[in-house]
Amino acid sequence: MNPQPRREIFAAGALALLLLVLMPALNAWAPEDSFFYVSNFTINVWGKYLAYGILAISVDLLWGFTGLLSLGQALFFSLGGYMLGMHLMLMIGKLGQYKSDLPDFMVFLGHTFLPTFWRPFYSFGVTALLVFLVPMLLAKGFGYLAFRSRIKGVYFSILTQALTYGASLMFFRNDMLMGGNNGFTDFKFLLGGDMRSAATQRTLYICTGIALLAVYFGCRWLTRTKFGLIQRAIRDSETRVLFSGYSAANYKLFVFVVAAGIAALGGALYVPQVGIINPSEMTPDKSLEAVVWVAVGGRGTLVGPVLGAVVINALKSWATRAIPDMWLILLGSMFLLVVLFLPKGLISVPGLIRDFLQRHRKPASPETPAPTPAPKVSAS
Amino acid sequence: MKLINKSAQALLALAGMAFTHSAVAADTVKVGVLHSLSGTMAISETSLRDVLLFTFDEINAKGGVMGKKIEPVVVDGASNWPLFAEKAKQLLEKDKTAAVFGCWTSVSRKSVLPVFEKNNGLLFYPVQYEGEEESKNVFYTAEAVNQQATPAVDYMLAKKKEKFYLIGSDYVYPQTTNLVLLEYLLSKGVPLENIGGGFKKDSSGKIISAGKYTPFGHTDYQQIVAEIKQFAAGGKACVINTLNGDTNVPFFKEYAAAGLTAESCPVVSFSISEDEFRALPAKQLVGQLGCWTYFESIKSDANKTFVSNFQKWLKETTVDGVKKEGRVTCSPMVLSYDGVYLWKAAVEKAGSFDVDKVRAALQSGISFDGPGGKVTTQSNMHLTKNVFIGETKADGQFKILKEYKDVFGQPWLKGTFKAK
Amino acid sequence: MPLSPAPIPLLLMRLLFAAIAFLLACCAPLAQADAPAEIIAKAVLLDDKSEEQIALIRSGEPSPELLALLTLWKEGGIFLVEGPEGTKIPVTLEDAKDADDKQAARLLLTRQPYLGPDGKPIRLLASDLNAAETDSDLRSAMKSILDLAGLASPDRSARLQAVETLGMEQDPLRLPALRARISKETDSEIQHALKEAVALTELKDADPATVTLACRALGELGSIRSQDALRLLAKDGHPAARTAQDALRKIEQHLQTVNIWGTLFRGLSLGSVLLVAALGLAVTFGLMGVINMAHGEMIAVGAYTTYVVQCIFGPGLELSPFGIHIVLPSMKATGWLYDSYFLFAIPLSFLTAARAGVVLERCVIRFLYRRPLESLLATWGVSLVLQQLFRLTFGANNVQVASPNWLSGHWLINDVSLGWNRVFVIGFAAAIVLGVFLLLARTPLGLLMRAVMQNRTMAACMGVRTERVNLLTFGLGSGLAGLAGAFLSQIGNVGPSLGQSYIVDAFMTVVVGGVGSLFGTIFSALGIGMADQALQQILGNPVLGKILVLVGIILFLQWRPAGLFVTRSRSLDN
Repeated sequence: MNPQPRREIFAAGALALLLLVLMPALNAWAPEDSFFYVSNFTINVWGKYLAYGILAISVDLLWGFTGLLSLGQALFFSLGGYMLGMHLMLMIGKLGQYKSDLPDFMVFLGHTFLPTFWRPFYSFGVTALLVFLVPMLLAKGFGYLAFRSRIKGVYFSILTQALTYGASLMFFRNDMLMGGNNGFTDFKFLLGGDMRSAATQRTLYICTGIALLAVYFGCRWLTRTKFGLIQRAIRDSETRVLFSGYSAANYKLFVFVVAAGIAALGGALYVPQVGIINPSEMTPDKSLEAVVWVAVGGRGTLVGPVLGAVVINALKSWATRAIPDMWLILLGSMFLLVVLFLPKGLISVPGLIRDFLQRHRKPASPETPAPTPAPKVSAS
Repeated sequence: MKLINKSAQALLALAGMAFTHSAVAADTVKVGVLHSLSGTMAISETSLRDVLLFTFDEINAKGGVMGKKIEPVVVDGASNWPLFAEKAKQLLEKDKTAAVFGCWTSVSRKSVLPVFEKNNGLLFYPVQYEGEEESKNVFYTAEAVNQQATPAVDYMLAKKKEKFYLIGSDYVYPQTTNLVLLEYLLSKGVPLENIGGGFKKDSSGKIISAGKYTPFGHTDYQQIVAEIKQFAAGGKACVINTLNGDTNVPFFKEYAAAGLTAESCPVVSFSISEDEFRALPAKQLVGQLGCWTYFESIKSDANKTFVSNFQKWLKETTVDGVKKEGRVTCSPMVLSYDGVYLWKAAVEKAGSFDVDKVRAALQSGISFDGPGGKVTTQSNMHLTKNVFIGETKADGQFKILKEYKDVFGQPWLKGTFKAK
Repeated sequence: MPLSPAPIPLLLMRLLFAAIAFLLACCAPLAQADAPAEIIAKAVLLDDKSEEQIALIRSGEPSPELLALLTLWKEGGIFLVEGPEGTKIPVTLEDAKDADDKQAARLLLTRQPYLGPDGKPIRLLASDLNAAETDSDLRSAMKSILDLAGLASPDRSARLQAVETLGMEQDPLRLPALRARISKETDSEIQHALKEAVALTELKDADPATVTLACRALGELGSIRSQDALRLLAKDGHPAARTAQDALRKIEQHLQTVNIWGTLFRGLSLGSVLLVAALGLAVTFGLMGVINMAHGEMIAVGAYTTYVVQCIFGPGLELSPFGIHIVLPSMKATGWLYDSYFLFAIPLSFLTAARAGVVLERCVIRFLYRRPLESLLATWGVSLVLQQLFRLTFGANNVQVASPNWLSGHWLINDVSLGWNRVFVIGFAAAIVLGVFLLLARTPLGLLMRAVMQNRTMAACMGVRTERVNLLTFGLGSGLAGLAGAFLSQIGNVGPSLGQSYIVDAFMTVVVGGVGSLFGTIFSALGIGMADQALQQILGNPVLGKILVLVGIILFLQWRPAGLFVTRSRSLDN
């Protein structure tokens, strides 16, 4: 797949250095009025982009490498976020509007005691475990049912869409005791750190970067094993894989569960940085948006999704301020054009330019005398 | 040229470079406008952006605030709550705006609240809300529950209604309002079985939710209307409606189709203003009631001037995306308008744009004669204002039936009414 | 207890009735001082003082003329025009309209033509005038006057309404009139209502025996509207408490039957809505295998077309998308002509959406026939763009689509309410399903479509122009979505995100039914509709029902991954 793996690792390393060391350092130590100062705002926004990058990798692992277009990734992402959010809600303590031990929204609805399923979330360790466990178990259950009955292709997409839609309806309900439409906000502390301080946000940013790097290398390793080979074989022709004696369902289930875990990790890092999680994060549309990042960045690669997530979200940050009316049109048509004319995404652009330049040079060489428009003439 | 400029900005944003803004230029002051201009909430919020820009132009034409022209920074929350928080950060940390006018939904306000508290910003929030919140960084020009819901119930009780059916969208505003109304109705001697919509109790038997709730974007109200019809069969019933803007359309279409009318069982709605009314089947709504602190049909000179100036501004404005035809004014718009003028008055009283000083000025009690009559700021960051009950007419306006003068904004209502 | 308790109160009643009649007769000459037109003219001018207005209209004798004027006023047929020196003159308009839609005005007071300063009759345009206003208090007072008179009205529905309102008032003074009517009434439904009204009123009787009888009667009648009154009796240790409880039990049983039938009907109508929304998708997705995420926006195209047609029939429309100012002309139609807009809107919305679909197919879909997943993504992009285009063209607000009169009403059959719009959607769904079926099964085009969908390469080899058939099929699918939009505009919102509310449901319906099978879609739509409404009824919660249906669908697809009706194929990868 990658002709120059060394170069890729080098580039990733350089980027990681820039994002993980240089930016936080400039944020922490550069004087505020200097040109090199990186503001808290920038750190925070980039933290969000990187968390989206993790989500994008999880989408690509399924779609780009295994051919499963899951519209449920936003659900796993938000579930991860919700799990951490529950811990953060309990850490507010008596600092909420009501000065009560219960989260505000429960006092609001007249609850007097904490429901049992909330209790484990007092412990950060248990929460960290549940961040992965809950979404992965859901993925396992759903995936088992879906893959067992050989639901694939578009049907799989539609079914995951239904799952996400159902879950968002569920979480919108105030009865669910997960904050309803308002979700969780107004977090105060994470592991004793004040969530509003620049230092905590910076630490979160670095954690997100490290997590992204780990996910990147993890997936890179996974897709290069024999397992990765079968993964791609399933993508290209599942029937042939079946006939070769592999149990495609198990392989797919495994990838689905791993991707759910990765998405959940992204969600758990996303929530403390943006400071809110609510059910509108788990609608099918959000899943599709993540698919857009992957498609635009370049699917079937691991750098592409991250690139797409960062570029599109940065573009969104800019466009919702500069040209709010045109933003959806811009996003929609960009997507349309990429699908139609650039199936391999932005990541393929340098390659295309190289090809183009080579082709341009070629007419000068004596070996290929035919000019480029020739095939057209012969075709007609 | 403009395009190149914009793309240059985009590139800078992409690079994440921190270029320092000049915070307050010599002759202008920056204020933020934070509303959804795309996504589902754009339905309601674009009108508020329009009225704010109009107000800034009006103030600038008269010399600005303390000699400085207002320079609006308009951002789009895109009906996306994390994005609201990001935009709030941008307005406060990068643009260093002196004040921000914005938000519609409770969740967007909750999402930006920590940002405003952290940066000690000042947000003016103009839309009816559930109360149960008081922040020193938010000025609530909005209607509190006792400036909308309880006066409406008083009115229905005076009209000899005995049965109340509660229906709303499933989010905090309706949930809280209905819980407050439940306490209020019980305190007025209405028995529990005369309150419809169902209850949910916790394991100790305490009621934690009253009324019927549907999600946003719900389209099928057949079952609920059938239930209301049976509930109202004995007469003397009314419906207290806290459904969110656009779910009202299928609800009222079904309501009318089932043969229920304003005479047999009136509906009091808290989320239908003149602006939402434009999308509703007017014919089927005639005679249903609304309760707000402003109606376009108020016959005061202040209101007439406001409406005609706004219409004139709409005709002349060159701002992108402002719809010019068929525009109306409504309560959230006027409360946004009042908010800007109150901020101006507070700045002038404080003699400074500093948030702490402006807040102190606001809390000291400033009055402004707005289109809806006199409004006065309170020390709890709410507004004392007049409350009107109106009846919808076929032309989309409200006929004012009753006015409650100078109602004090009271955010903490739960538990204040005791059953007899 | 006396064996026959009735005669004495009855006699008393009759005496009372006679006394009232006598009194009324005495008062009549006094009341004549104010002729009906004078009363109304006076009352109309007391704008904003509803209490005085009510007293005034009650003072008049309910003569046919007064009633007619009251009705006219209530329906906004009395107008106030500016007279000399700022006075206001109440006038009415004659029916006949001239070429400018103007109508001749008549003075309310004298019924003479309203003459201008030049002595010529003045002609006015109704839409320019201010109608004399009414508020809810005044209208209910008018209604109670009209109802009493309405007991003898020749119009069946007016009579029924009058009886129902009078029953609800529980005013013993109305009893004689009600009783007198029972013997004369021939219509069985009104008979039923009259009995109910009499019994309801008798609940207020001082004699426990009468009350007991009334309770029993109400139980027999299964009277839903008497529940509240009966509950009061059943509680407070009244001698009739036990009978009241029995009656309540009977009514409860009746209510259950009503709810079961009601749920069936509502399920059928929700199923039809789903069917209408999903049918277009069943064609594009089912027959062509193209995942059109912009299907919802095609529905919105249909709905907006309906809106535009309505505006052209009505007040006209001004739009300014992208700074281009467009003014659509207005026909200023009223009455039945205006109501008929919907009949024109139906075919137009089909054509507009079909045209949009054809453009979409040419520009996007045709490149993606071999890449279904990517067609899903590309059409999602299209759907975003279209949504924003709607927003920029018609505004972010929802727009107002009024149902024509012939779609806003209902039938009440044994207390089950059947809304006309709902009945219409069921018929409409049946009609388009039949149409699509005939098109596919009986026309040459249908044959070609089926051939291409079954085996594209083979069909091409046989000389079928597959490109063209694709185009037409996609156009058909989009057109059907447009029809759905025209219909959905009558029961719900018309706004930029209209399509989003139906797209997930529509996909579900097609997948459950079995892709490629129209019959499957019909069955699954009705099944999902019924299940949804039944669960709502049982759980009393609209959302839980919907979630359970979604879970049910996911589980169902485990059992039958290809849906209800499987299209058999020898291909491995399909």
